[in-house]
Amino acid sequence: MSGKMCSSSNSIIQAQKLVDQLRVEANMERFKISLTAADLVQYCQEHRRSDPLLTGIAASSNPFKDKKTCVLL
Amino acid sequence: MWPVWSQTNQTSNRLCSCFLKMACQGLQKGETLATLKKECESLKKKLEEDRGKLNDVELHQVAEKVEVVGALSIKTRRVLKGHTNKVLCMDWCKDKRRLVSSSQDGKVIVWDGFTLNKEHGMSMPTTWVMACAYAPSGCAVACGGLDNKCSVIPLSLDSNENCAAKKKTVAMHTNYISGCTFTNSDMQLLSCSGDGTSALWDVESGQLLQSFHGHTSDILSLDLAPSETGNTFVTGGCDKKANVWDMRSGQNIQSFECHESDINCVKYYPSGDAFASASDDATCRFFDLRADREVAVFQKDSIVFGASTVDFSLSGRLLFAGYNDYTINVWDVLKGTRISMMFGHENRVSRVRLSPDGTALCSASWDNTLRVSRSFPHE
Repeated sequence: MSGKMCSSSNSIIQAQKLVDQLRVEANMERFKISLTAADLVQYCQEHRRSDPLLTGIAASSNPFKDKKTCVLL
Repeated sequence: MWPVWSQTNQTSNRLCSCFLKMACQGLQKGETLATLKKECESLKKKLEEDRGKLNDVELHQVAEKVEVVGALSIKTRRVLKGHTNKVLCMDWCKDKRRLVSSSQDGKVIVWDGFTLNKEHGMSMPTTWVMACAYAPSGCAVACGGLDNKCSVIPLSLDSNENCAAKKKTVAMHTNYISGCTFTNSDMQLLSCSGDGTSALWDVESGQLLQSFHGHTSDILSLDLAPSETGNTFVTGGCDKKANVWDMRSGQNIQSFECHESDINCVKYYPSGDAFASASDDATCRFFDLRADREVAVFQKDSIVFGASTVDFSLSGRLLFAGYNDYTINVWDVLKGTRISMMFGHENRVSRVRLSPDGTALCSASWDNTLRVSRSFPHE
């Protein structure tokens, strides 16, 4: 009998935690996708020129490019 | 307090009333549980409705006028060989040239990405070192795995010195360490574990500063929000949930349950307003934090293997995703389409990471190697 009581108080504690968590999430202020997506797009556009994998970088400034051998004159 | 059995009526009456009281309390608790469950259901419904109301347009529709990304020619420039078993994790140093990698072989190696020189090689007292991270200063690395601990190792300038001897245990969990990262300084470490919790630690003292509970199964990945957006981080795990946490309060502030299988990796979008996830359900997804919902699914009928890792390019336009079919798919984040594929690894890709200046992509694999790739310069 005491075992049953223990597990039911545990499930109550768990259920209470779940309800508290959901209350926190429900109270969050949300924004429409049309607004938030526009910001995501804007961020991409603003930073596209400085994205080396998108625009490619000059061979001379790329440290990973294979170095040509030196020619001794 | 055990009842003393007696033949007297008084005692048995008392016993009866005692059990009756307990039965009544049981009934009250039962009612409370039912009310809580009801509230739970109605809150979940409300959340779904509220999130649905904001779904006035799709991300790719908003991005319709954005020009298409041209074909990318990304080529492998370096192959880092040295590990004798699966490479499980890697991280870049802020100096944009050094990397740290960790492997099932129990070793943690610090490489110079330009020269391929192995600057440090450290043996851990465990195999499956599943997590490693470079400290912001570049003077230390953190690593952890099956030993259930995350250790910080200061890197000596003297290559002859045995760094592993100075290893300091910082994080302690009750199951494997799946991910770790320094916060904005060398002083604090965030860890996540197969024990379902993540934790914030003080590196110097090893003290637990905050613990984060909420996942109902192993956590497989974490990522810290870009410093401009404040003190939050995101985790993803085997309970198919991605949770966002407030580092100071320990509160789970947002939760997303959209994937159909384990989430293997989570990564913030560079602005901090969104994050991407990679899952065993063969999809990667994009979640908008201010709209509080999933806004894109990166999937194809031809992609049937789990995605294990994701990272964004510097502008956030490209999403690099490593899969269990040995490939890396490059997705257009805004349009939701695949731009190109990268081949080369001979086993699962376990980790992809852009270098801090965005010029190179490092991929780690179960084929025991790491590859550093970059795109051809456009003429």
